[in-house]
Amino acid sequence: MFAYIVRRLFLMLVTLFGISVIIFVLLRVVPGNIVDILFDAAGFVDPADKANLEKELGLSQPIVLQYLHWIGGLLRGDLGYSYVSEKPALEEILPRIPITARLAGLALLFSASIGIPLGVISAVHQGSRLDYALRVVSLSGLSLPSFWLGLLILMASVSMFGTMPIYNPNPRTWLEALSIYAVPAMAVGFRSAALTMRITRSSMLEILRQDYIRTARAKGASEASVNYHHALKNAVLPVITVIGIEAAFLIGGLIVTETVFNIPGIARFLVEALRWRDYPIVQNLVMFIAVVVVVVNFTVDMLYAAIDPRIRFGD
Amino acid sequence: MRSVQALAVVLLSVLAIGDASAAGEGKSGGIFRIYHRDSPGSASIHEGATYSLNVPFMPIFSNLVIFDQHIAQNSTDTIRPELAESWAWSADNKTLTFKLRKDVKWHDGKPFTSADVKCTFDMLMGKSQQKFRQNPRKSWYDQVNDVTVNGDYEASFNLKRPQPALLSLLASGYTPVYPCHVSPAEMRTKPVGTGPFKFVEFKANESIKLVKNPDYFKKGLPYLDGIEFTIIPNRSTAILGFVSGKFDMTFPTEVSIPLLKDVKSQDPKAICVVEPNNVSTNIIVNSSAAPFDNLDVRRALALALDRKAFIQIMFEGQGDIGGTMEPAPAGQWAMPKEMLESIPGYGPDVNANREEARKLMQKAGFGPDKHLAIKVSTRNIAVYRDPAIILIDQLKSIYIDAELDVVDTAQWFPKVARKDYTLGLNLTGNAVDDPDQSFYENYACGSERNYTNYCNKDIEKLFDQQSEETDLNKRKKLVWEIDKKLQEDVARPIIFHGRTGTCWQPYVKNITVMSNSSYNGYRYEDVWLDK
Amino acid sequence: MATINFDSELRKAGANATGGWRRLAFLAQRYMLGTVGLVIMLLFVWTALSADLISRYDPLSVDSAHRLAPPSALHWFGTDSFGRDVWSRIIHGARISLAVGIGSTTLGATLGVIVGLTSGYLSGWVDLVFQRITDILQSLPLLVLALVMTAALGPSLPNVIIAIAIPLIPTVARVIRANTLALREQPFVEAAKSIGMSETRIALRHVLPNTIAPLIVLATAQLGSTILTEASLSFLGLGIPEPYPSWGRMLSESAAEYVRTAPWLVIFPGIAISLAVFGTNLFGDALRDILDPRQRG
Repeated sequence: MFAYIVRRLFLMLVTLFGISVIIFVLLRVVPGNIVDILFDAAGFVDPADKANLEKELGLSQPIVLQYLHWIGGLLRGDLGYSYVSEKPALEEILPRIPITARLAGLALLFSASIGIPLGVISAVHQGSRLDYALRVVSLSGLSLPSFWLGLLILMASVSMFGTMPIYNPNPRTWLEALSIYAVPAMAVGFRSAALTMRITRSSMLEILRQDYIRTARAKGASEASVNYHHALKNAVLPVITVIGIEAAFLIGGLIVTETVFNIPGIARFLVEALRWRDYPIVQNLVMFIAVVVVVVNFTVDMLYAAIDPRIRFGD
Repeated sequence: MRSVQALAVVLLSVLAIGDASAAGEGKSGGIFRIYHRDSPGSASIHEGATYSLNVPFMPIFSNLVIFDQHIAQNSTDTIRPELAESWAWSADNKTLTFKLRKDVKWHDGKPFTSADVKCTFDMLMGKSQQKFRQNPRKSWYDQVNDVTVNGDYEASFNLKRPQPALLSLLASGYTPVYPCHVSPAEMRTKPVGTGPFKFVEFKANESIKLVKNPDYFKKGLPYLDGIEFTIIPNRSTAILGFVSGKFDMTFPTEVSIPLLKDVKSQDPKAICVVEPNNVSTNIIVNSSAAPFDNLDVRRALALALDRKAFIQIMFEGQGDIGGTMEPAPAGQWAMPKEMLESIPGYGPDVNANREEARKLMQKAGFGPDKHLAIKVSTRNIAVYRDPAIILIDQLKSIYIDAELDVVDTAQWFPKVARKDYTLGLNLTGNAVDDPDQSFYENYACGSERNYTNYCNKDIEKLFDQQSEETDLNKRKKLVWEIDKKLQEDVARPIIFHGRTGTCWQPYVKNITVMSNSSYNGYRYEDVWLDK
Repeated sequence: MATINFDSELRKAGANATGGWRRLAFLAQRYMLGTVGLVIMLLFVWTALSADLISRYDPLSVDSAHRLAPPSALHWFGTDSFGRDVWSRIIHGARISLAVGIGSTTLGATLGVIVGLTSGYLSGWVDLVFQRITDILQSLPLLVLALVMTAALGPSLPNVIIAIAIPLIPTVARVIRANTLALREQPFVEAAKSIGMSETRIALRHVLPNTIAPLIVLATAQLGSTILTEASLSFLGLGIPEPYPSWGRMLSESAAEYVRTAPWLVIFPGIAISLAVFGTNLFGDALRDILDPRQRG
């Protein structure tokens, strides 16, 4: 067990190292850098000014040196300075993390509270019209582009309530705070809810077929008790699985949702930073996202093993 | 003569200011909420070349002189004193002297003196130790030898030759005075000014906050407690926010005509104005390579344009046709209509024009059986892309099969500089409605923004001639002549001049949207909220 | 192992049909949702292939006299701000979505198969390296990776296809590798080895065909998500550039500007995307049920 964890941790480091190299190289093969973008507004590029600025930002160094400089800083906790705002990258990234985390948390909560009950219902009534209807709904949840959904929600909100949730860092009432986060969380969580439902349904079906459920039934446990008590307890696993799969997907969904709802979280920040070719921000943000995904996956695997004794450690 | 005129202007403007503050109708208090269309790269106006920077940061600063903030059409007659109490031209029109106010403090408490003026313009001319990261308007001061000070409260601009337009350039929102004691790097992140509002914070992609400057040198101003900009790049989200009452005003001159209709239907109380913004949409032609090295093909291109159709599609008819200078009545330098229509391609009969264009194409070896295949390059931004799509469609009428080539922002100017294009669709914004700014920047030999490298020494002589001319009417005639020649040479065919909308809630008072520049009207010192 | 065996499947389902058509009819009845999905998909493919025949106007042709016209007999889905016919653009947009969907899924699956097969078959250090590469690719959200890739490569149809294909590699590689590992132990592979067949030949002749079924299931499941990713990229301004009438682009910024004055510009492309993805998802579900019964839900 211990050896396995150590091995996994080591592999995580290898993965993160690989990501850092890939992101770093990808960014630098992009034609045009921050200097071109800065000069763009002026309508021309002054070669002397450009060279000066590239030197100032360290862009004229050999690429290997630039990489070592970045990683060296990263290990010391120094993320460098944003090219655009000239503030420390850490200062730019840190305050945006809780915003996105809240959104992601709410989205997962939403997806679990909708997806699990519907999944159970669907499984219990397998083959019925209700089951069919729920399956179609869940599939449509996986088919709607989340930005389209967000846009439709915004339009509906303005025409029905005359107002819309717009991000405000200091919401006055808890209701405003809730609407700021809840509406976008629903837009992005719809997809996760659909996925949760599907996975809950299929694992419920599998469990319901299993022996100990039959035993419980034979012992005279009521149908409801069997379904919801015994079976649901075992349905925790699929939820953990969904969280594992969705951690990566959710960030993708958040990028467009934060754009539609104008929420200044890290996901939208990444897109903006990419547009500006603000390397220090993009590199560190991507690394942060990768760390989150890797850690979530690791935790999910550990939880899996802890909950389900059938799973053994190994490759 | 000139100085008498200037004195009169000063007197008039002192009266005007007296009026504004004496009226005393403004109510103090309130935060003015505006959405911002994008996140500006920095907070330093001198280092930027987009009005995304001027709108939020102009309220922090003061100029020597400024265009009257309540007259839509900027002109030499609407220039008002700001940090300068008065100004005068020397007899030979080569020295411009400003007498400065003595009661002005920077936001950090340090006194403002003539040294700050010298510092600012030395830096702009590239003469000081401290350097800007970038200096996009260096060429504005090409005719300035140096700036000298006489004591703490007098500064003079010494010119190489007379250039009456210099005063207009100094009155633009692009020309604030910077403090000597703050480095350019600090000005990019935490700007310090002498203006009605102080900088609080700028969170990239999120918000910009300004707060009232209680020590502003104009007593009783500003009325507002602060200004807050919320950055919302998605236009429809931003407009939805405005109609639902989250903002007091839209981002100035950014609401498109179709969206304007939307605003009016959603929020009938909103006050909306549509003004030209002195931005021309034009075609840059690579005349150094085939096929547009052939003047006939260039002429055919000019004849093929159906400008009305462009305006119909882009602005539902609310746009203007003209040459380089912004069309009348908003523009001051536009040539008369008859003169404009005598230029090939500007005539009202589009079909006749295109017939002629096809003949020219046939002469150049193309025809119904031999189409010319080219690419139209432009940036991946809607205001560039949209006219390019229309252009491509119109080119079909003269045997040209064009394909759109969308170029990433970071690669656009390098590509243009390499001459790696055939036709390019370009936007040219003019901060000041003055021929000196437009002609030198876009058509002078060797100018950085002269993308096509159009170079005509004869016309360049005329540029200088009009620049030195102090008689307004004589200058206008010269300008018309030049503008007409530029169009006939197909130097950079101008397709149209756009108009855009600005909307605000009726309780917002004292907003004036400029009609011949979108860079100059955002001091907001006497804006107030009637709530 | 998920070997394809329709007949046993059919028998299990209680069908005594033997004729081709009747068998098909039975399948259609049994997998009704899947059939609906298949119909949608076929419609989608047919639309893309015959776009030139069924579109009523040139999708790029600008018409200043008929801008923002609401849906009518003349323009079934209305016109956009340039007066371009939305119906024709959606029809032609099917080509783009299909090209991106099939192109990136095929590319991603092919690369994934190569990686998975080599990795599973050769084991050793090759496996180790390939495993780490898939780890890396899997630790980045699909959209993040696609975003950085399109930013790096520049927006164009082939680049978007590549950018969406690369993140698909690990998913495919994982499944293929697991299958290959299991197959390697199978008696028929042992037998092939014992008669002196070369490793490559064994891999291609015996292992690969037996991984086809899970591959098809996986690829169909990914098809929908590639179409969605393209739409998201276009929405963020990094997708397929004008003048290609991509559904995502039609929905994005410029169309969103007319969200209230011309809702058909937002509604129809949105429906087109959703329907295409929905169809592939329905079909993919049924296909999984048929080909990979262990996973049946």
